[in-house]
Amino acid sequence: MSVAAPSSDSSRSSKSANEAREALRAAMVRLADGDSAALEEIYTATRVKLFGICYRILGDRKEAEDALQDVYVNLWQRADRYDPQRASPISWLATFARNRAIDRLRTGKVRSGAVAVEEAAPLPDEAPLADALLVDAERDAQIHKCLGTLDDRAQTYIRAAFFEGHTYAQLADAADVPLGTMKSWIRRGLLRLRACLEASEKGGDAA
Amino acid sequence: MSDDADIPAPGGPESASERERVVAAEFALGLLEGEELLAARGRLATDPDFAARREWWDEWFAPLSDEVSGAQPGAHVWDGIAARVNGAQVSREAASVSATPLEGPSNVTSLDMERRVRRWQWTAGLSSAAAAVALALFFSAPGAAPQADEAPLIAAGAPLMASIPIGDTPLRLGVTFIPASDEMLVSASGLTADGVHDHELWLVPEDGSAPQSLGVVVPGEERRMLLPENIVQNMGPGVGLVLTREPIGGKPEGVDAGPVVAQGQLDAV
Repeated sequence: MSVAAPSSDSSRSSKSANEAREALRAAMVRLADGDSAALEEIYTATRVKLFGICYRILGDRKEAEDALQDVYVNLWQRADRYDPQRASPISWLATFARNRAIDRLRTGKVRSGAVAVEEAAPLPDEAPLADALLVDAERDAQIHKCLGTLDDRAQTYIRAAFFEGHTYAQLADAADVPLGTMKSWIRRGLLRLRACLEASEKGGDAA
Repeated sequence: MSDDADIPAPGGPESASERERVVAAEFALGLLEGEELLAARGRLATDPDFAARREWWDEWFAPLSDEVSGAQPGAHVWDGIAARVNGAQVSREAASVSATPLEGPSNVTSLDMERRVRRWQWTAGLSSAAAAVALALFFSAPGAAPQADEAPLIAAGAPLMASIPIGDTPLRLGVTFIPASDEMLVSASGLTADGVHDHELWLVPEDGSAPQSLGVVVPGEERRMLLPENIVQNMGPGVGLVLTREPIGGKPEGVDAGPVVAQGQLDAV
């Protein structure tokens, strides 16, 4: 969008983001109360984002579609696990979907990271829908800020683990370094990341 | 780039306590596999502090997923979800009325069984005798239980157990699944390690999908672990379990599983 008039744009979009978030939260509560019809509403609002996550991790369209089915069937079975007081619903769902995809990767025979990033984004016109459900902007800024304090290597591999679902062994292979070296790089990064995130929770001088 | 990170790993740059401080993050990112992954899953079930720390990391990492582009799934995905949800509702309502036909993928026919056995290619080292036993198990399993019991989505309650005889020995591997908490207990207390092999336990889903690893069995120990949901949903009475012989550490990535050395099935207690 236009760089010249960011304020009106962002306030309008954050209003619709709030509405979308609250509608989703309400649907999640109804689902937990046993209203199966709420599942379709949740599916319609979140499928593009959650499928994107599954696809990115699994790297195979068919596998990702199977994983997506599991995600929503599990959600229907376990809707009571979502605590509406705590997490933003889309952030919780994104984590839920990613964890299901990772579980699938570790228990199945699927290969990860097979898909190119461009390939995983076949429908740019759907992106605004996902944007309307943006997770908490403050936390978003903070995690990026803290990741930014890590050395390039730690950042790169932590992000690869998150986005591609790679294990320590796969990352070490790809970088052609011993497993212990990769573990050491990432663990140092995670220690520093933890300290930075904890400081932001305590200090409040996050932004 | 910082220079201090170039130190390889002499004398162990990180201490055990440092590792402990980030293991929940490693788990949340999905970096762990094999024994470490099983241990982390076990802690999730038994260590509330660890579970809280895992959740803390999940919440912090969640915003990163906004960088992932969305993508449109095929229309059949919703149909599949609706069929599974409706099917499970039907089977819950049918409860003891075993005559009610199940809809959707939970209805396992012998044709499905054939297909999935073919798809599941046990190759190297699988003796024909073992194969015959395995096939007999697969084909007899669905007929053994009343149909309503075959719904993979178990509605509630009773633990499922399997007692798996090990070869000609009097030893048994005990497996218990507790639906209320999604926990699995694997008791291998009578078994001993031979030092060259590990044994990996697999669940054979009723819906014909690929067998799912339940992990390497640790001889002489009783393990308790929280199962991931993609495994939980396949748990149910009559579900098959097989034990394969693998290299130390379990089935290597990208190769077929080793020979089946024992099998059994989960049944309601």
